[in-house]
Amino acid sequence: MPERVAIVGVGHSDIRSITPGVSYKELMFEAATRAYEDAGVNPRRDVDSFISVSEDFWEGTSIFDEYVPDQLGGALRPVHTVTGDGIQALGCAAMLIRTGRARIVAVEGHSKHSDMRTPYHIQEFAFDPIFNRPLGAHPHYLAGLEMNRYLFETGTTREQCAMVVRKNRSCAISNPRAVYGARLSVEDVLASPPAFYPLTELDIARPADGCFVMVVAAESVAGDLAGEPVWIAGYGWCTETPSLESREWGEAVYARLAAQQAYRMAGITDPFRDLDFAEVDDSFSYKELQHLEALRVCRPGEAADMLEDGVTGPDGDFPVNVSGGSLGVGHLLEATGLHRVYEVVLQLRGQAGSSQLAGVERGLAQSWRNLPTTTGCVIILEKG
Amino acid sequence: MLERITNPEEVRTWSGAVPIEHVYTVGVAGEVFFRAIKDRGRLVACVCPDCGTDYLPPRLYCERCFAKTADYRDLEARGTVHTFTVAHFDLDGRRLATPELYAFVRINGSGGGIVHRLGEVAASDVYIGMEVEAVFLPPARRTGSILDIAYFKPVV
Ligand SMILES: [Zn+2]
Repeated sequence: MPERVAIVGVGHSDIRSITPGVSYKELMFEAATRAYEDAGVNPRRDVDSFISVSEDFWEGTSIFDEYVPDQLGGALRPVHTVTGDGIQALGCAAMLIRTGRARIVAVEGHSKHSDMRTPYHIQEFAFDPIFNRPLGAHPHYLAGLEMNRYLFETGTTREQCAMVVRKNRSCAISNPRAVYGARLSVEDVLASPPAFYPLTELDIARPADGCFVMVVAAESVAGDLAGEPVWIAGYGWCTETPSLESREWGEAVYARLAAQQAYRMAGITDPFRDLDFAEVDDSFSYKELQHLEALRVCRPGEAADMLEDGVTGPDGDFPVNVSGGSLGVGHLLEATGLHRVYEVVLQLRGQAGSSQLAGVERGLAQSWRNLPTTTGCVIILEKG
Repeated sequence: MLERITNPEEVRTWSGAVPIEHVYTVGVAGEVFFRAIKDRGRLVACVCPDCGTDYLPPRLYCERCFAKTADYRDLEARGTVHTFTVAHFDLDGRRLATPELYAFVRINGSGGGIVHRLGEVAASDVYIGMEVEAVFLPPARRTGSILDIAYFKPVV
């Protein structure tokens, strides 16, 4: 039986819409300092391996992983970068520990979105250069195409998607990490300027800057550390296809398959019954609904009904994005998955302040690598 | 923890740009596809002999079973709107004076399709399931690219 693995320390920098006063390295240093303090570890002595998540184009630096070690306390130590989401890095950390290669691993993800002058050009540069990029369209048009098909296939309405925005931005008001807390009505969302039909401007999560660091440890050492452990019960990730021409437009297949892996590992057969709450990708309003269906929390087309019935609200039977999600907190690029995990960890530790849910034992975090990708990750966390 | 700047005039930045230029090889299957567009005003599909998955644009291998594809065939550049959107922003994030229509068009007789602009139609008249056909540039102006198709328009 391989050793169990826990998240034993979490920390984050200030999360802001812009952070002109600090460099990305200083954001990372701040988050790392807090995470090590929380775990009660000294990175120069106790951390065996370091993993960051980043994407060179967002950073404006090629071979960006070279710029990672020093501000994490990882100089002259094993460090590697995952060009993916933070949940993938947590999975890698768990595997490093379960293979016996490391006992304590630090995982980092950050967003310095406000340093980018041409973010949409960078995102469009991720589209297929031969078949899609010549159109020269703003990358969010792809979300418009997806949402329209999702609504068509499931019968979900724009009003119901607007309710996701209302819920998440309202939840964000009580989250001190959230940049975009607001009381909005469904009418506010529908009447906001059109963006990429059926999306309005308020259907789209806005970016934020910030950094998250987590310390992951083997069960054999977790008990000796200061941080209250939250156990990693399962994880998985999957990429469908880069091709717009052969992907599914209405269903998030990547999330369904990633969840299958995580559920198998965690022994979950009925996600709605076996999980208490979830933080799922809501980088566009419809995505929360589409992802919940892919996670098999409900059947296809039923996520909007759950929302309308209050089941996925903060007082419901299956609260979703009680943190405010990306719509309420802000989208944090590759750190988005780690942010969702952070919120799940706080809930399971009972440290979520006025957002705290009662009696939660097991939660799920799910991420999507945003447009134009079909990559999704799922992680299941539980109390001791 | 960090001391913070309280005077915004103390904030220093440095600007940088990355001059990236590239050629992208279209490959064996891409060559077949773009020659058909340029020379014949047709689209090309192919099929996986193992699982039957149909590819348009064609590709050399099947992503589902890793087999080599076969049966390259010409198709008319006609299909149905599988989904569409109206874009109100350009790539620089500026609001467009004239919004642009985009669609994923499933090509008749194939399992794939093309993401492209829609033209000769008002946004309010587009619907999922609408029949459309490609409007090609005149043969002399085609270069063998996806932009040899100007847009898709409704079949009258
Ligand atoms: Zn096949």
